[in-house]
Amino acid sequence: MKQHPLTARQMGLIRCHTCGKLAFDVGHDGYEEHCPRCQAHMHMRATNSLSRTWALLITATILYIPANILPIMTVTYFGSGQPDTIMSGVITLLQHGSYPVAAVIFIASILVPVLKMVALLILLLSVQLKWVLDDRQRTRMYRAVELVGRWSMLDMFVIALLVALVNFGSIAQIVSGPGATAFGSVVVLTMLAATTFDARLIWDKEVIDD
Amino acid sequence: MSAKDNIQSLPSIPENWIACKDCDLLLERVEAPLGDKALCPRCANPLYQPREQSVERTLALALTGLLLFIPANLLPVMTLDLVGQESSTTIYEGSLVLFREGLYWTALLVFFASVVIPLCKLLLMLFVSGYLQLQRSSPLLPYAFRYYHYLDEWGMLEVYMLSVLVAVVKLKGMASVIPGIGLYCFIALLLVTTLMSSLLDQDDFWTRIEHGLKGQPQ
Repeated sequence: MKQHPLTARQMGLIRCHTCGKLAFDVGHDGYEEHCPRCQAHMHMRATNSLSRTWALLITATILYIPANILPIMTVTYFGSGQPDTIMSGVITLLQHGSYPVAAVIFIASILVPVLKMVALLILLLSVQLKWVLDDRQRTRMYRAVELVGRWSMLDMFVIALLVALVNFGSIAQIVSGPGATAFGSVVVLTMLAATTFDARLIWDKEVIDD
Repeated sequence: MSAKDNIQSLPSIPENWIACKDCDLLLERVEAPLGDKALCPRCANPLYQPREQSVERTLALALTGLLLFIPANLLPVMTLDLVGQESSTTIYEGSLVLFREGLYWTALLVFFASVVIPLCKLLLMLFVSGYLQLQRSSPLLPYAFRYYHYLDEWGMLEVYMLSVLVAVVKLKGMASVIPGIGLYCFIALLLVTTLMSSLLDQDDFWTRIEHGLKGQPQ
């Protein structure tokens, strides 16, 4: 592949974030430029990318607390049962010897959200404070965050299935709890945070250095 | 160069110029062999991946997916047998029950990610690849394909599939679980939609949409 020494921005070109079409940057006088191919709004960089990502990430972090403290569901079996949080659900599975499933839930519901929030925090801080880190690694980290985020929805679907299936009145019943709402919001907010973060900001400092 | 009045005097951008999505590096497009991924030399982001007969194949898969969508959603995914009492559920019932319990936000989230968005994606893909296959043009094509792009990551059938397996394991100590026909249709639907997104050549689609519209008399 032949490589131009420049970025699109340095050539005065905008890449449409939706379809990839290149267009000349003519939008400096305050009107919205539309992509000539797909009609999407074009921006040199995502608008207020850092502030928006910060806002979404902070909200997600706050909601992460009730998501883990409040019960996500209550299983009542022959009259006895107690509310389960995400963590206690994993522990229960471990006690029953279902190690693979416990591992899946632990990864999808605990490990992935935490790592995702930490990764976004590192990306935001490193761009804002101009830390000198490996840009390629950071881009790779960003793509990993984008890819794995959706798998955290796993627990939400499990709750929906269990609540719909286990409905035997006094014998056995599963009721969902408020923790599920908080957790679902965390997943959506972190997915949105990954979308609003513009990975090109990682590389932009070279433009400033010039 | 940035003044709006000077648009006329701007040189045209060479057709084979592309920029990397994640690092904005300006590159010259080279023909990659079918199925090969072109990677950005600076950040290793996949740039494009030419696919063979992308339009025909995605059209066929979108049609198959829509046919499978009906039984996969209306027939029971699994049936639970607890001391002679039976209970079964379909995919959309899961979110319906959450809605009745008052967890509206959770219910909507599950309903959208497992039913509405996968359906919209199939319909949009049928529309776009159908029009491209018939070599017809519509002013709606760019919008339809754009929304397909936006919805892409919010359809979560594969996550749902894994959650079915988890639910089965969680329930196995409590009652006997019988898989339903809906589950088999759902697995087929998942395979078809996964294949559809992996055989989709986004770049080729956009080029066809663009050129189709240009060729159309206004």
